[in-house]
Amino acid sequence: MNSQMTDKTPSPRVLVFACRWCALVGADAAGRGKAELPASFRLIPVECASMVEPDSVLRAFASGADGVAVMGCHLGGCRFNDANHVAVKRMEALGDLLDTVGIGRRRLLLSFGTAHEGRQFAEVLEAFFRELAPLSSLAAWQKPLLNQPSFR
Amino acid sequence: MPGVIAFLCRCCGEIEPTVDLPALRERIGREEGVAAVELRDTLCLPEDRAAILKAFEESGADRILLAACSPYGKVGNVVAKLSAACGNDRSRVRLIDIREGCAWIHRGDPAGATAKACDLMRMGLGFMRHGKQSADAVVSVRPECLVVGAGSAGLAAAGSIARAGYPVHLVERGAAGGGMVKLLSHVYPTDAGAEERLAPYLEAIAENPLITFHGKTRVAAATGYAGDFKIRLASEKGEKNLRVGTVILATGAGVWLPRGLYRYGELKEILTLMELERRQREGKAAAKRTVFIQCVGARCPERPYCATICCPSSIKNAVLLRKADPDAEVTILHRDIMTPGHILERYYRSALEAGVRFIRFAEAQPPVVLGEGRVGRVEVFDAISGLTREIEADQVILSTPLVANADNAKLAELFHLPLDGYGFFREDYPLHPLETRQAGVFICGSARWPVASGEAVTQGEGAAMKALSILGRKEISALSMSRLPEGKLGHARIEDGSCSGCGNCVAVCPYGACALQPVGGVFVSRANKMRCRACGSCTSVCPNGTVQMPEHNARAVGAMIRRAFAEGDAR
Amino acid sequence: MTPETPLDNPRQTAVGALPILIEGGGAAGISASLDLAAAGRSVHLIERTAVLGGQVLRLDKLYPTDHCAFCPLWTDIRRLQGEPGITVHLSSVIASLEASAEGNLATIVTKPPFIAPERCISCGRCAEACPLGAARPLGEHIYPPSFRIDEKICDRCGRCVGVCPTAAIDLARQEERKTLKIAKAIRAAGFVEADLKPLPEFGYGLHPDIMTSLEFEAWTAEAGQNGGRIVRKSGGGSPANIAFIQCSGARDKRLLPWCSAVCCMHALKQSSWVKRRDAGIDCWIFYTDLRTVGRDYYAYSQRAVDEAGVRLVRGRPGLIYPLPGGGIAVKYEDTLTQKREIRRFDMVVLNGNLRPSVGDGYGAEPPADACGFAAEPADVAQSACQGSSTAMKVLIGEREGSCRA
Repeated sequence: MNSQMTDKTPSPRVLVFACRWCALVGADAAGRGKAELPASFRLIPVECASMVEPDSVLRAFASGADGVAVMGCHLGGCRFNDANHVAVKRMEALGDLLDTVGIGRRRLLLSFGTAHEGRQFAEVLEAFFRELAPLSSLAAWQKPLLNQPSFR
Repeated sequence: MPGVIAFLCRCCGEIEPTVDLPALRERIGREEGVAAVELRDTLCLPEDRAAILKAFEESGADRILLAACSPYGKVGNVVAKLSAACGNDRSRVRLIDIREGCAWIHRGDPAGATAKACDLMRMGLGFMRHGKQSADAVVSVRPECLVVGAGSAGLAAAGSIARAGYPVHLVERGAAGGGMVKLLSHVYPTDAGAEERLAPYLEAIAENPLITFHGKTRVAAATGYAGDFKIRLASEKGEKNLRVGTVILATGAGVWLPRGLYRYGELKEILTLMELERRQREGKAAAKRTVFIQCVGARCPERPYCATICCPSSIKNAVLLRKADPDAEVTILHRDIMTPGHILERYYRSALEAGVRFIRFAEAQPPVVLGEGRVGRVEVFDAISGLTREIEADQVILSTPLVANADNAKLAELFHLPLDGYGFFREDYPLHPLETRQAGVFICGSARWPVASGEAVTQGEGAAMKALSILGRKEISALSMSRLPEGKLGHARIEDGSCSGCGNCVAVCPYGACALQPVGGVFVSRANKMRCRACGSCTSVCPNGTVQMPEHNARAVGAMIRRAFAEGDAR
Repeated sequence: MTPETPLDNPRQTAVGALPILIEGGGAAGISASLDLAAAGRSVHLIERTAVLGGQVLRLDKLYPTDHCAFCPLWTDIRRLQGEPGITVHLSSVIASLEASAEGNLATIVTKPPFIAPERCISCGRCAEACPLGAARPLGEHIYPPSFRIDEKICDRCGRCVGVCPTAAIDLARQEERKTLKIAKAIRAAGFVEADLKPLPEFGYGLHPDIMTSLEFEAWTAEAGQNGGRIVRKSGGGSPANIAFIQCSGARDKRLLPWCSAVCCMHALKQSSWVKRRDAGIDCWIFYTDLRTVGRDYYAYSQRAVDEAGVRLVRGRPGLIYPLPGGGIAVKYEDTLTQKREIRRFDMVVLNGNLRPSVGDGYGAEPPADACGFAAEPADVAQSACQGSSTAMKVLIGEREGSCRA
């Protein structure tokens, strides 16, 4: 259990889009190493980080995520010939939009090549959880929306 | 719709007690569209396979959801085999990781872990309602190969393919094959004569009926994909169209002249290595005192690379001069002697034993060539002794680098390939140095990076072997165009009617798979199934959501996102 | 030579053809195996260790792309494991290879691991039960993951057998011998590090922080025990400086007379990564000729020097010895300034002592061909090329009857 989270404070909800090469290998390493992480994140594997549409990130925020992480291979290491360069630029531009609409780019974590070995995935996520902890829960004011049957 | 059968793996107790599997089973069993939920100790052992298939058949379901360990574990292979039972539709089998991804990382929070496992499984179910498999395309492979360039690499490639039994079109911009080796007198490290070295390859062109040599010809146009490239050749005799299964680019490198350096062109008897080779061929290379200067125009800001062949070539010529005249003084001025490995290092030693002198200079203090009318002497600061030396010279040989062939840029455009900063063709990946990002197009020899004739031959043979993996098949399917055993994820699909022709996908695709085409008076994009590698870049830049990957389409992803925190929320 | 093109599915035409034996599951062997299988031939791949990947698997990053070593290798290994035409023999060696009247015969000796990888679910209970620490994970980048028992440590007490939930452990597994009839053999067993004891001046074995380059690679790997941090083995945190000694063992008549080709770039890569992770560590490379022949290698070396601040000294140190107060003294002459110095270093990495892993020298005797480092010092790209090219030569040789099948 993350020692900074008390029973009363729910851990921030994070949706992780992880490319199934570097990033998913990193998540796997965290699992095999039995790192202890808060159970409030969900992981969606994608073929390449460039497959993550800005639309998906926004939907994630609208669906109860407090933070979204997009994880891919380090720049220069994309097996789809630098498609991740495009992904990084697109996500950074999305950060501007998030700032504009009041969600804030702090809620979007980009990790390219920094979460793929040993304890890195666990450390990167833990740092993100700490970053998100003082921010209000986005889900809180969206609860009425989420509870509508049509939304599920 | 028949429904989904879910298998929960206990993993022999590795998942419980953190994840409450009976509760999970009960909860998932209540989901709409779930035909059955089975709890098993293991899913990945040989004895499990039959039991899983039997349960699947008896349930009447048409899709399978597995909740087990990581996709990198053995259960990953199970997924591949199970999709065979689902009509080879991989979108009908999905694996959820509830061990490395859940039970093992949330041992302190069983309630949270169980809620997460439930969310992950419901995300999988939501995905499977909308995930589809891409339609495959099967291409008949044209069992012929195009080799561009008839130097060492091209000759070796063409010869290998022909000897393996396939027809080859060998295209060469010059009148005959031989490439740069034709201009040499001897090759290293064997010191075999250049003619002797080329002879067997040139004979093969002449004698092997499978090789069609197109001299004084260039590639004018190229479209298509692995298995079926449509090539247009242009020569003075006109144009010719070919359809080939694979293309090997072996265009070699170009020569660079050191104008303005070391008084080249100003004083007589200052030659490049190539000019020395010509003199060797004519028997006119002898001189009493020869000085070689290495790294002329190489490993410098304008050309920050080592061109591989200059050190051994100078050594080769230096030893030949010494052998021809034991009284000849031969000195090599260098910044490092680049003779890596076992064979070349021995070659270097043999030069020392043959009496060749080596003097090291620093990049910041290059030698100075002096003379009037013709070269007289060379002044060099010997970095190791710390003394300035004056060497009398009757000829000075400048070792210049190979540079990229001027034709590479055009070919790169035709085949949609990247060039590196120096103009050489870029390979795809660290362990695949002969492959490019276009499936079916291979590179070898100095077109890829300056190499000596021997290594060019090795690379040509290697490229031929890679080509054979395509040529040897009657057909290849688009979904198999991937390095992975299960094939690629899918390919991009563009919905008719909703493409606005903006061209974003065309610009972003690393493989040139998307192209705008006129359809009914407007331009719309079409994705080529063979070229697409399923990276998904196009789906992210499409403003209309028109481009989708059926295996990862927006509806399916949206369903996952909506369900991601549902149970977590209920907690 | 009849121009009969095998237009049918090549697997059909290969029925009846003898398999090809490949020794070594590293870059060259994997390349050759995949290419031969794609051309419809059956292959027996013999690998000495318990996993495929060779020396590339032991690397953290590759030069000059700074790409992770494991990822491209992993794709190829998965493809290899999925190829029906390739039979992989792990923990196996070639005991003998003979040409005979009927063809070529290879005797393979396999020591099957105590834990059967096809039954292991990586639960780790054997490791928890083992009192001697003999059971541990097979490795960081091994997929599917599995556990292994180190036979040298195991005392056969059998506690692990009782706790294994899938009955994967059998401590009584015996060595197996098989004789295969093969068309041809390809030797691609790569390199190992030669023992540096004959060269005492390098001080190997006298101090924990004097390491070979592969030991340093493992020590500083991101997936290794230090998680990529650069720390002294002797304790005390980060080193202030590290000396990379080139040609230690190579270009030396006493051990390996020739150049090992890959070490200069390897040291540049290691020192660049040290600087990337901790710019405060002073890195010195002591070289004789800085061999940066190959795609983008020279530019890489320039970046190491100009951007990362790696120092180059031309000179092969004559003496390396531990200092009584801690640290290691390196005595050298900077041949470009003619100054002789003794400098204290916290860590010393010895680069150069790479020799072929099988046999006394490079190359192979008939009925085998050698490729990769087994034939001639080669980097990863060259090894992969040579694997493909040797595969091609074997196929052509067969078609033209120049090797018996």
